[in-house]
Amino acid sequence: MTYTSYLYFFGFAIVVYLVYLACPMKQKWKVLFAGSCLFSMILDGFLAVCLLVTSLAAFFCGKQLTKLQDKFNAAKKGLSKDEKKQLKAEITKKKKAVVAAGTIISLGSLIVLKYTSFFLGLFNSVSEIFGGIQLPLLYYALPLGISYYTLQAIGYVVDTYRGKYRAETNAAKLILFVSFFPQMTEGPIGRYDKLMPQLVEGHRYSNENFTSGVTLIFWGLFKKLVISDRASYMVSEVFGNYTKYGSIVVFVATVMYTIQLYTDFSGCIDIMSGTARVFGIKLESNFRQPFFSKSVGEFWRRWHITLGTWFKDYVFYPVSLSSPFMKLSKASAGHMSKFMASIVPSACALFVVWLGTGLWHGASMKYVIYGLYYFLIMLLGTIFEPAFVKMSAKLNINRKGKTMSTLAVLRTMLLVNIGMTMFRADGIGEYGAVISRIFQPINIYDITSGTLFALGTDRHDFLVIVIGVAIMYLVAIMKEKGKDILTLVSTGRIYIKWPVMMGLIVAVLVFGAYGPGYGVVENIYAQF
Amino acid sequence: MEELLEILSEVKPGVDFEKETELVDSGILDSMAIIQLVARLADEYDVEITPVDLVPENFNSAEAIYALVKRLED
Repeated sequence: MTYTSYLYFFGFAIVVYLVYLACPMKQKWKVLFAGSCLFSMILDGFLAVCLLVTSLAAFFCGKQLTKLQDKFNAAKKGLSKDEKKQLKAEITKKKKAVVAAGTIISLGSLIVLKYTSFFLGLFNSVSEIFGGIQLPLLYYALPLGISYYTLQAIGYVVDTYRGKYRAETNAAKLILFVSFFPQMTEGPIGRYDKLMPQLVEGHRYSNENFTSGVTLIFWGLFKKLVISDRASYMVSEVFGNYTKYGSIVVFVATVMYTIQLYTDFSGCIDIMSGTARVFGIKLESNFRQPFFSKSVGEFWRRWHITLGTWFKDYVFYPVSLSSPFMKLSKASAGHMSKFMASIVPSACALFVVWLGTGLWHGASMKYVIYGLYYFLIMLLGTIFEPAFVKMSAKLNINRKGKTMSTLAVLRTMLLVNIGMTMFRADGIGEYGAVISRIFQPINIYDITSGTLFALGTDRHDFLVIVIGVAIMYLVAIMKEKGKDILTLVSTGRIYIKWPVMMGLIVAVLVFGAYGPGYGVVENIYAQF
Repeated sequence: MEELLEILSEVKPGVDFEKETELVDSGILDSMAIIQLVARLADEYDVEITPVDLVPENFNSAEAIYALVKRLED
């Protein structure tokens, strides 16, 4: 059952919604809990078991952490400063052990299920060099969404450790937080303090929530079925047989893949956010017009936002503030220029983050290189920033002017396109071959012969994609200017609301790539 | 405060730190700059800044950063 299937909408989401509306306010969260449990069992029984283990581990760790904190708060009264310090150190040590246990259980199952074959493969490669033993590779079935709900559960445990909030006292509620069905398989990765109150408070039917939710669902379906799935046919053909095609075709396929990836992922997030909105629940934003970014760093602050902020809060900051990194910071200050000394420690922490981000996407060297590619671009950007500033001043170039800003946006798009091509290629070797194919001499015959339109995505498909992207672009421009068209439509007057909503629904029904002749295209990000 | 403004200017030159009130929200201070700043603050003021303190409200303006330092010094 995918988020774009009839079964999901008509056999599941609508049924859960009707039961949710029929239930008394205080019982509504139980409908979401039962619906999420059922959804996970329909998807995969193994997923349901993994979700339960992760949720319960987080629940018991959270409870223990709050208990330890309460113990400290009660015992510290009347103690001297030194005694308080000593007690705090003891309690912190115990709390750290609890966090470690919780993280090992959650992350451990992710590592075993997702990365066993990768690490065994690495071991075999090293062992082969020294003539050592070769271990058999072990592949496990990966539960859908494991990479998302694991991070969500770890975030909860760490925040409880940090004292951001008290632990949840009801196990069923925490299971709901970890497994809320709209965000179970692709995120967005939620935070307990923002999501949990919305899940348990119960919401009555609201016209505004219903129309804005349905509009968002159809906007997501438009991106996914009208644009992404149409683009996928050409992308599959060219990436599967790139040696057959010339530079123009391969380049168009790489651009098409970036469009496919964005519309697939952001489309699915819109469908999920729209579903949650109908229930009166607002999920975290995962995208903020990423293709308006002037730098790769900015792109990653606008793309898959909840993953970026998760890595920032739970990896980058703790690693950067750890004592080895603070020591490195001090050592750098003594041996390097002020500028370099300020960059080296955070660059080292950033390396850890991007290695993790790459590996999060998949268990192969391709994803490691994918993460490090973005790390390198950002690092070079930071190192050369003072030189760029000086050069611009010398040449009297206004870097914030319209021309330079547009060029910066185009440069970012190109760099991202190169990165996303790596994402799509089957391996590093294939990636190199695809990129080198782009730099072959241009053969105008690729265009005049009509090859471009005979690769599964015909002239009609291309036209639909171009118009679809143009509409998306206009909506994004308005959003950049602070006008969210989708919200305006859903809350606007009836003579604006209904024609636009109907137009969107008709566009999905008429131009969506579904039904006879179209295969189901799996959501790309659900595979992580 | 003057000492803090000097540190801020070294970490991120060319910003009017006396006037800016959305240093984090507007992207002037990104996570890398915040870490550079935290290292300098820890060094200059002998304070321990933990990940819990790294929220936009504590870094959106020079005044907020100053208040954070003063709070941690106490």
